[in-house]
Amino acid sequence: MTVVQPYELSLAEAADAIGDGHLSPVELTESVLARIEATEPLVNAYAAVTADSAREQAAAAEREIAAGRRRGPLHGIPMALKDLIDTAGVVTASGSAVRAGRIPDRDAAVTARLKRAGAVLLGKAHTHEFAYGLTTPQTRNPWAPDRVPGGSSGGSAAAVAAGSATFALGTDTGGSIRVPAALTGAVGLKPTYGLVPRDGVAALSWSLDHVGPITRTVRDAGLVLEAIADRGADSLPGSEYGHGHGGGGHGHGGDGRGPGYGIPRGGGLDGVRVGVPSDYFFDRVDPQVEAAVRTALDRMADLGARLVDVKIPLHRYVQAVQWGLMVPEATAYHAEQLGHAPELYGDDVRVLLEAGALLPAVDHIRAQRARTLMRREWEGLLGQVDLIAAPTVPATAAQAGQEAFGWPDGTTETVADAYVRLCAPANITGLPALSLPVGFDLQGLPIGMQLIGRPYGEAALLGAAGAYEQEFGPAPRAAVDTCLVAKK
Amino acid sequence: MSLTPLPPLPGLPPLPGHTPQSAAAAAERAGVPLRADRHPVVAATADHILAVVSRLRELDLADISPAPSYRADER
Repeated sequence: MTVVQPYELSLAEAADAIGDGHLSPVELTESVLARIEATEPLVNAYAAVTADSAREQAAAAEREIAAGRRRGPLHGIPMALKDLIDTAGVVTASGSAVRAGRIPDRDAAVTARLKRAGAVLLGKAHTHEFAYGLTTPQTRNPWAPDRVPGGSSGGSAAAVAAGSATFALGTDTGGSIRVPAALTGAVGLKPTYGLVPRDGVAALSWSLDHVGPITRTVRDAGLVLEAIADRGADSLPGSEYGHGHGGGGHGHGGDGRGPGYGIPRGGGLDGVRVGVPSDYFFDRVDPQVEAAVRTALDRMADLGARLVDVKIPLHRYVQAVQWGLMVPEATAYHAEQLGHAPELYGDDVRVLLEAGALLPAVDHIRAQRARTLMRREWEGLLGQVDLIAAPTVPATAAQAGQEAFGWPDGTTETVADAYVRLCAPANITGLPALSLPVGFDLQGLPIGMQLIGRPYGEAALLGAAGAYEQEFGPAPRAAVDTCLVAKK
Repeated sequence: MSLTPLPPLPGLPPLPGHTPQSAAAAAERAGVPLRADRHPVVAATADHILAVVSRLRELDLADISPAPSYRADER
């Protein structure tokens, strides 16, 4: 019989074990730290590991829990934060030589909230430099070390997939939570724009940036969102489906009471209208990815969902709006530093930041106006259906150093453009979107399905994804152990 | 990260490209002065970005207002 190690547990499983007294935060943290030591030579998910501090936080959590002062399901759970998220006293460099050795005085709002919930900080996870890229070249994919983990939150996703963090936070401007989640077989949730505070998080593009969880299960994503969100989605429009029925999970403080993002048990997907795009989201998509997502859609139908063909509005303008907003905002954020020491930026990021200064203001405003139009059209679309389901990314993990994908229609597309393409609509519209694992390609690489919901409809989104996960299970942990053995 | 070229815009004249000199002048005016060896690559990248973004010129935006401070649940 195989003994499950604490680092293998999902957040919810670990929280249940801690709550029942079968596992201590110190045991769990030691197990995850040992896992970091074992996997980092291959995966390199972390920019910095704060082992001593983690041990102290775990010991403190253990004492509090033993004294009957358990704060909730995150108390004593070890986690990683993307290197873009400020942590008081801990180096936060945004993956860049520009900020090498920078130690913030204050915690980001989300860091403070996780600390209040009792989570244990393991360290800072690698990001593509200033989140301006989709590959995170420092880090390798735990499923295949010759492949990228995706980005820009590649370290966060790789750590979760490798078992070297029980959960993590990432940020998402054009897919940077969902892309690495899909490529590493994790769950990634980009919440509704503004639901999770961005204070103390380095910006890429203020109007497109989001902070959210990367976890092993849908249920775990709800638990983390509960701790970091500004307000409960249950009181907001778009949350009418799938929330809290049955009282399962850890909606509030781990006791299943009150509002929150707990996943309903056994509710299936009866009556849920799932929009299946007949254009855009299945264009130029790897056939294996498409097949896995369509199988997942059939499974959702088996669970009671009604699949509805939908057309995606204004999809011809997605890339133009995304770049018309992001490029000048990123340059504005970095303008002063670009004047001082531009050579400190990596080549790929530097040229985009410099070129962003040349985009006329009228084109930026045109992108903002098109965004208004796009949001209205999507609002209409989500009046017809409860959520949209589609691939998260059109291809599985690219080889490290790979520059482009070739498509059956003879076109080629850069890896970055391909990974952003299906994620950007939810950044532009601000709609909540979640990626969950739905299978593997023939090379054993994970495939993600994306669900996009109504504004503040996180509970509905988590409910639908949770119903799928309860029926078909979460993705297995990454095969990094085989790689570690092969390396010895 | 770079962009994949899009098909040419129907009905729109081709956009005039930057020269290294015009790129340098525009960046200077924007408060992001470029070092001399950067002028050609920045000019080419800026042209590429504008080619993508200028697709929005196809749209009839009538009196639609911009969304500078964005909220998902309000117009």
